[in-house]
Amino acid sequence: MSSPAIAVEGLAAGYGATAVLEDVTFTAMGGQSICVLGPNGGGKTTLFRALLGELEPLAGRVAVSGRPAYMAQTERTRLDFPVTALDVAVMGTLADGRWWLPARRLDRDAALAALERVGLAEHAGVRFGELSGGQRQRALLARALVQDAQVLLLDEPLSGVDPASATLIAGVFDELREDGRTLLVASHDVESARSFDSVLCLNRRQVGFGAPAATLDRATLQATYGHELIVLEGGAGAVTVQHHEHGHHD
Amino acid sequence: MDLAELPFLREALFELVLLAIAGGTLGAWVVLRRLAFFSHAAGSATFPGLVIADASGVSPVLAGLAVALGYAGGVERAGRGGRDHSEGTALLLVAALAAGVILASDVFESGAAVDRLLFGTLLGLGAADLAVSAAVAVIAVVAAVALGRTWSAIGFDPDGARALGLPAGRADLVLLGLVAVAAVAAIPAVGALLVTAVYVLPAAAARLLTTSIRGLVACALALALGEGLVGLYLAYWLDLPPGPPVAALGASVCLATAALTRRAAT
Repeated sequence: MSSPAIAVEGLAAGYGATAVLEDVTFTAMGGQSICVLGPNGGGKTTLFRALLGELEPLAGRVAVSGRPAYMAQTERTRLDFPVTALDVAVMGTLADGRWWLPARRLDRDAALAALERVGLAEHAGVRFGELSGGQRQRALLARALVQDAQVLLLDEPLSGVDPASATLIAGVFDELREDGRTLLVASHDVESARSFDSVLCLNRRQVGFGAPAATLDRATLQATYGHELIVLEGGAGAVTVQHHEHGHHD
Repeated sequence: MDLAELPFLREALFELVLLAIAGGTLGAWVVLRRLAFFSHAAGSATFPGLVIADASGVSPVLAGLAVALGYAGGVERAGRGGRDHSEGTALLLVAALAAGVILASDVFESGAAVDRLLFGTLLGLGAADLAVSAAVAVIAVVAAVALGRTWSAIGFDPDGARALGLPAGRADLVLLGLVAVAAVAAIPAVGALLVTAVYVLPAAAARLLTTSIRGLVACALALALGEGLVGLYLAYWLDLPPGPPVAALGASVCLATAALTRRAAT
């Protein structure tokens, strides 16, 4: 049996000596997609930073196959920065370690191919700040695709996107899974989480992990979201009320 | 009158062309990475070094370089962990200026030589000054071509850049060090207190007129060149050090550009 692409065991992580996330244990195989659910401050970004190696575990261990590609939230980017969608995608090639050298033609070709894949090729020359919300998410996804990583960590890639972009992004996720890549996708959308292979529920600690049908029950969602959870009448579904806080690590 | 007919003006002219190349190239990154305050402070912080150099006969360029590079290292260290550079910039600037004032007034009783280094001079620009400026211009262009995409990635999205495995601290240290060295190179011509005239004002105006990094660099270079040449001409005719007219011109162009672009937007 092949080894997991991600193996996390008893992880505690935080900033300084204070843990903001504890007791996280899960594995992810190649071709598996995991939706990471949790409220703001629940530890989703902290988990990603631990998987990226930016935070040393305060306890437990983390093993990831290769350097993961990371798609940050668009709120973290500077919209006034004079870069085009192509420039943003080309930034993904910096993951090869050649940070002290200019981009090569093959870097640009790889970036253009990634933009094509997310349906943004004809907007390659448009400034990032002038793209729509969904197009910006796709440009950042292209930057992650360029890295050709085995593991992709995507921080709320469907936040604020139009339906067309959401469909396109979901299609890329399917392709990546078929290609054997492992996806961890942070999201607030409980309903869309049901389309993933697994869900990981966090609220400063691991609340649940497993197949969506078995994991997303009322008790787990209540423990994950607390007062931010509204269960729809008849128990047909649940929505969360989120308050985005920019510049805040959750 | 042709400025180039006078030998000392010809050297000043050549010096300002070299500074415009460094100013246009680095100025674009100074503005994009929000290092305007640092760039001003790096020049001003050389004050104690210039006083000591004047009193001891050491080359002011070498003394300025030592202080400016130490200053850049201190600011980079203060900004580690994602902290804003500006607090460290202000703290170290105040310390450097206080040390400079005490050294100039109470220890060495410095005179006109230090004044020239603070505000620039048309006279006495020598081959060494030109060589330093030429070296800085070449290094600035090479560094911007090589490291431009890294500086861009860090400025655009610091979280994403860290995740790409970029050594953001080292890349920032190179940029801060280059700005500090470039500020020192500008001291003989425009003075330590007015290096902003070369490294911030042309790029700040160009930022309002352009939509790409290449366009920004080209426009900042053209403005730095134009303001330097006209400023030099004004300095000669008004019998002033070149720093103040170049700075006044740069500020006027920047303000006029801001006003015109704001009017065009409404």
